[in-house]
Amino acid sequence: MSADKSDILQGTLDLMVLKTLDAMGPLHGYGIARRIEQISEEALQINQGTIYASLVRLMQKRWISGAWGISDNNRKAKFYSITKAGRKQLNAEAENWERISAVIGRVLRLADRG
Amino acid sequence: MLTWIRTLASRTRTWLSPREVDRDFANELDSHLYMLTDENIRRGMQPEEARRAARIKLGGVTQLKETNRELRGLPFIETFLQDARYAFRMLRKNPGFTAVAVLTLALGIGANTAIFSVVYAVLLKPLPYANPNQLVSAFQANTQEGVPETGTSYPNFEEWRAQNHVFSELATIDFHQLTLTGLGDPSEVNTCVVTPEHFAVLDVKPLQGRIFFPEDGKRGAPPVVIVSENLWRGTLGADPKILGSSIILDKRPFTVIGIMPASFRSPFINSKPEVWIPLVQDPLFGSWMARRGGHWLAVFGRLKPGVSIAQAQAEMDAISERLASEFPAENKGWTVRLVPMQKEIVGDVRTALLVLLGAVGLVLLIACANIANLLLTRATSRSKEIAVRTALGAGRSRIIRQLLSETAVLGLLGGVIGIALAYWGVRALSSLLPDNLPRVNAIRVDNFVLIFALVLSAIASAVFGLVPALFASKLDIQSSLREGSGRSGESGNRRRARSFLAAAEIALAMVLLVAAGLLLRSFSKLTSVSPGFEPQHIVKAEVSLPQFQYSKPQQWTAFSDELLAHIQAQPGLQNSAIAIPVPIVDGFINLGFEIEGAPPKSSTESRTADYASVSPEYFHVMGIPLLSGRLFNQQDIATAPPVTLISKTMAQRYFPNQDPIGKRLSFGFPPNPGIPREIVGIVGDVRDTSLGDAPGPMMYVPYAQAPFWGADLVVKSTLGTSAVTVAIRQEVQKIDKDLPVTDVGKLPDLLDASVSQQRFRTLLLGLFAAMALILAATGIFGVISYSVSCRTNEIGIRVALGASRAAILRMILRETLLLTFAGLLVGIPCALVASHLIGHMLFGVSANDPVTLAAVASTLTAVATLAGFIPARRAMLVDPMVALRHE
Repeated sequence: MSADKSDILQGTLDLMVLKTLDAMGPLHGYGIARRIEQISEEALQINQGTIYASLVRLMQKRWISGAWGISDNNRKAKFYSITKAGRKQLNAEAENWERISAVIGRVLRLADRG
Repeated sequence: MLTWIRTLASRTRTWLSPREVDRDFANELDSHLYMLTDENIRRGMQPEEARRAARIKLGGVTQLKETNRELRGLPFIETFLQDARYAFRMLRKNPGFTAVAVLTLALGIGANTAIFSVVYAVLLKPLPYANPNQLVSAFQANTQEGVPETGTSYPNFEEWRAQNHVFSELATIDFHQLTLTGLGDPSEVNTCVVTPEHFAVLDVKPLQGRIFFPEDGKRGAPPVVIVSENLWRGTLGADPKILGSSIILDKRPFTVIGIMPASFRSPFINSKPEVWIPLVQDPLFGSWMARRGGHWLAVFGRLKPGVSIAQAQAEMDAISERLASEFPAENKGWTVRLVPMQKEIVGDVRTALLVLLGAVGLVLLIACANIANLLLTRATSRSKEIAVRTALGAGRSRIIRQLLSETAVLGLLGGVIGIALAYWGVRALSSLLPDNLPRVNAIRVDNFVLIFALVLSAIASAVFGLVPALFASKLDIQSSLREGSGRSGESGNRRRARSFLAAAEIALAMVLLVAAGLLLRSFSKLTSVSPGFEPQHIVKAEVSLPQFQYSKPQQWTAFSDELLAHIQAQPGLQNSAIAIPVPIVDGFINLGFEIEGAPPKSSTESRTADYASVSPEYFHVMGIPLLSGRLFNQQDIATAPPVTLISKTMAQRYFPNQDPIGKRLSFGFPPNPGIPREIVGIVGDVRDTSLGDAPGPMMYVPYAQAPFWGADLVVKSTLGTSAVTVAIRQEVQKIDKDLPVTDVGKLPDLLDASVSQQRFRTLLLGLFAAMALILAATGIFGVISYSVSCRTNEIGIRVALGASRAAILRMILRETLLLTFAGLLVGIPCALVASHLIGHMLFGVSANDPVTLAAVASTLTAVATLAGFIPARRAMLVDPMVALRHE
């Protein structure tokens, strides 16, 4: 991941993760990354590892919480879920969100539908 | 805000248990990889390929872990601590380098901190009174007569006080000494003579008792006194019942009503005040209170809240206009000038202190250049280490951060030692500081000064650290890794940077050396200038007569006649005289005069001359030559026709092309102004204001015709000072046992003390210039030695090919001189600018003084050559066999 990309993406990626968790319920890192990839229709070419930076940031702000559990295919995985504070933040940012780039707009609409 | 705190809390928590969190994240990434691999296998990849693809999809695991660690911990503190630990290790491994760098920096920081503590105390620290910004000094000024600022009279002061609406209170202060008797030996006490509002204006509370009430300032009020804590604890023996009892000042009892804390100082008074008395009770100034024409009261006041000094000035302008029309005889042409009290107290010391601060700042700059040079050299030898770090994935900013941490550690060490040096330096400075420097008692290394020192060392380390760090981080990894030792391959850029720094050091040193050289030459001219009299072997002592006992001029004359007769009767003391004032030592008295029969003076011309009242022997004792006419003699007594002697300058200025002898001047010092006096002779010029001021017109009168309530004895004797002093004391006390003899001193010492400010700044600037010279020499030495060691190979080849040793020496010295000349080329114009800035401090030398410039340039060249010669000699002695094997 190049430095520039991370700068651009940092804020938007955080919000995408939040929205994904809001829409999908508890998910592990892999699940979140897959979901964002699917919804963005591969428009976002990111290393999946990138979302872990987002997850740490969101954890630190207590907008999400994490706990170890068992995945669908019986693997141990850390599951993240959105917190009350996270939902509040998400709503507050929603208006802002509308104004940012077309890609994220599409992600939002698709995520709602899904 | 809340989010921010949450983040910090979370970061701190994870920072405290890093292993656990690391493991957790590693597990998480593992699980992610498994899931990715599972998916890839589901899509039909072979397991091996699926794992590879998963790794690519996820991104570099090590990098992810590193990012994670940085994000969740406290990376700044963490990496700084790590870097600092590493830096300490590196510094310990190079004790020589560390010692030189730290010591250089410590000297720079120490000197700066010490000077700053003086600047802070004298110029910046608020005055030690409540709301000091409201305090203002008020002067009278007369542009027509060229008087920029002087005191006022008591009647005027009363009008100012009554008529203004801008001051919450106005007060006055004057200062002299009174004789304290009844407690052991008679002594002189420093006396502040004030109007009752003095303490109220300054808003201070007494330690015990009360401050003056307005009634204490009324005529006929009982005499009261406020004493200082020091006098109370000392001479008064900390008497607990002192309040209400009385002390004897000038033979009059004063009731003690209060004690002021030791920390309290009255403004404008540099001596420690010991007692305060109301103006109306003062034996000297009290008798002047009724006269409106005088200019002797120092007035200050506190502005009402919200009133600006400009508003106050406007009001005072209106009042002084009213006074001028109401009392034209005394007030015509006189205006009032308001000056913030702080500015007034600091006066002209400001420039000198700022020059010193600038000078010491340059020293620090040179020190920084020196350390930067050392670091550059070291960075070169560490280029391999840095290349390895870069290759292992450290970013440029990370490398810079690490190198800066090292310099920060250096800076911190230098700062700490520098502060220790500053403590010592301030103590050393205190003994050097001229007595007449205002606010000296406030000088110390306090918190503000400490913060200054720390900030300074931080800035300094950023300055000397950034340049090498930027160079080091721009390293070409490939070539650095390939070069074995990383020794011979120095980039041209870096060598240029080093040469630039060394040349800059020379230039800066040049500026300081020229300034110091000019001040030194000024000072030597100043101290060797002839004052117009011969101070050798002259002892001076002051006797003041208490006004209440000695109230009539006849008594003053009788006393001085008797005293002089007694002293001259002593063996070895025949050569004695009485004078008021003694030139330079006592300051000067300037009086206006009229020439009888001369056309009235034009409005621009001012006829004033300095005045002295002396006994007939004075000219002989002081060695002032008689140029024509006669000196005073024993017949020039009070009842004889008044006579005067004038100086050569006065004769030339006011009697060009004529013989002044026989003409009459009218002038006089109170109580007899405007007496016509016949000029009986012309004597040599005397510098009476200061050694640095050219002699002005001067007129003398016989002491018997113009006595004073006290006078100086001047005794020329080859006996020792103490023998003379004892003899004077004995004779004075034979006449009146309650009279103290004060201000005893040898005239040469007193003249010396009169140039203490000049000596102080010359000494300090000289010291700083010497530091600059040494630092610059070290800088040159460092650059040339390094260059020689880099070129060992090349030199070996040259020698092997037949270059003579002299040629090698010449080559290296040429490099040295090139650096030096580059430095001088830049330094000379800078030095000229600097020397013009200090132009007003110079005496007898021009700011462009070619002698100083040439001397400094050649000194610098010589020192630089010497510094370059040591490595050059090493180069000359290089054994080609060894050199060629040298890598």
